[in-house]
Amino acid sequence: MKIVVCIKQVPATGADKRYTDDLRLDRSSVEAIINPLDEYAIEQALRLVDSGGADAVTYLSMGPEQAAEALRRALAMGGDDAVLVTDPALAGADEWATAVVLAAALDKLAPDIALMGMASDDARGSLVPGAVAARRGLPLLSYGAELAVDDGAARIRRLSATGFDWIEAPLPVVATVTDQVGEPRYASLKGIMAAKRKPLETWSLEDIGVDAGTLRGGALTRVTDSRPPEDKPPTERIENVAAVEAATRVADWLAARKLI
Amino acid sequence: MSNDILFLAEFAVGRPARSALELATGAAELAAASGGTAVGLAYGSGATGGAAALGAHGAKHVVVLGDEDRPAITFAGAAAAAVGASAALALLAPATPNGRDLAAALVGLLDLPAFGPVRAARVVDGVVETEQATLQGSVITTARPVDGAPTPSVVLVLPNTFTPAEGGTGTAEVTTGADVGGSPFGKAKVVESHEADARVANLDEANVIVAGGRGVGGEEGFALLRDLAEVLGGAVGASRAAADAGWIAYQLQIGQTGKVVKPQLYIGAGISGAIQHKVGMQTAEHVVAINRDRDAPIGEFADLYVVGDLFQIVPALTEEIRRRKGGA
Repeated sequence: MKIVVCIKQVPATGADKRYTDDLRLDRSSVEAIINPLDEYAIEQALRLVDSGGADAVTYLSMGPEQAAEALRRALAMGGDDAVLVTDPALAGADEWATAVVLAAALDKLAPDIALMGMASDDARGSLVPGAVAARRGLPLLSYGAELAVDDGAARIRRLSATGFDWIEAPLPVVATVTDQVGEPRYASLKGIMAAKRKPLETWSLEDIGVDAGTLRGGALTRVTDSRPPEDKPPTERIENVAAVEAATRVADWLAARKLI
Repeated sequence: MSNDILFLAEFAVGRPARSALELATGAAELAAASGGTAVGLAYGSGATGGAAALGAHGAKHVVVLGDEDRPAITFAGAAAAAVGASAALALLAPATPNGRDLAAALVGLLDLPAFGPVRAARVVDGVVETEQATLQGSVITTARPVDGAPTPSVVLVLPNTFTPAEGGTGTAEVTTGADVGGSPFGKAKVVESHEADARVANLDEANVIVAGGRGVGGEEGFALLRDLAEVLGGAVGASRAAADAGWIAYQLQIGQTGKVVKPQLYIGAGISGAIQHKVGMQTAEHVVAINRDRDAPIGEFADLYVVGDLFQIVPALTEEIRRRKGGA
């Protein structure tokens, strides 16, 4: 039972971001981390290994060369090896192109479960997992608050409109997990040392059999404008008054905006 | 010429989600600019019976993909067939877990450009243009498909981006989608279902949300918020801390890993306003925060910030609003 966890390197939450002349995020100028929601996928994979449900964990990332740092950090948490797909043709790849590339790399790695976080911090479309599943012709088990594996099938516990469901599919599958699977472990010093010796391969588009020409420059979308959010009026404050007075003033404020 | 506008119409538990009405109207607005018509792709229980009524909100035609509550991506084969048979410029999808999954499958199956979640979408000179808050809301970007990109553009749409047209009398023409057998997505099956707390409301449908965080302290505190929500005709929501503490169902969690909401009025009590919560509610039209800490981050983006004890202020506010509404 082999798991490949797909991870993305993203700018640190709250980091100062800059843009290149063509309105793409300048990823070289900011502190980068493993996408925080991907750490839950890593944790879930490592728990399956700990419990004997899985044998091996490989990490897969697509990104610039410095994304290897994120893979090393993941390897420090646990797992066996890692693959970075990097290619000049992938600068500015959108969700479609990312899915094409990850699907091709996963075809080569052939895991029983391709596991991902539920969203990325910097884009939040959450479209890559479903698009990867579609390209690979595999079922998708998404938004799992828990992932279990047995008898050649994977099951996830997923919130429904009125409660929760267990959804099951035969392996191989593509799956995503939420932050309810359990807090990600920290890398130990021993883990950090061990990670330096774990295999990390770098693959180009050619290595995964993707013709750069079919990627249409890495994107089917383009950003035409990028600007700061609109200025909001300054926050009005009510403080140092008794609760009843505060309540009256809030009610006045709501009434003035026809909210009550 | 591709100029129709498709939209995903989610149904569940026998009726349309509010997003289905919003996107019917949104699709009709875009279709008016593109010179096409609004066409719905409906799925979930109640879709067959409720499809025609989407005409009142702007849909001209609705294709029913399936009439049962199961993961939306399992309808992807039928959806892809319907999209392939259409001449559509764009497909609007709700930015919900099910909407995203089905949209994602279409992107992967048909090689389509994807946008969102967006806070605005329009057709300009025959081209889809979207507006999105990215990088935790620090930047607003406008995006379009590249020249010659395949159509339709798939656009994830945040709740309340479009306001459902009311009072319409139109009836949409309804057809049944092609049943595509053998789709790999269909191998994912619901094997167990559990009902949760009966109090779980649908946050997507609430115009007013009263949300509580760690500062609410427990279920008794949430009872106070529920009273306020009730007098305002709204629903109760929560931060992740409150859901993790077990004070409230995860269905009511707002934020990066919960729901993204866009109510007319959001009142946050005992919520600090961490970035992970902010991304779930920052597009609310009016934000009121009640917090004991005068320097909580929510004070930076609230419209009205009340510094004080929520256990006193919330009941007083409930009472005051009830009095003004002329109730007991």
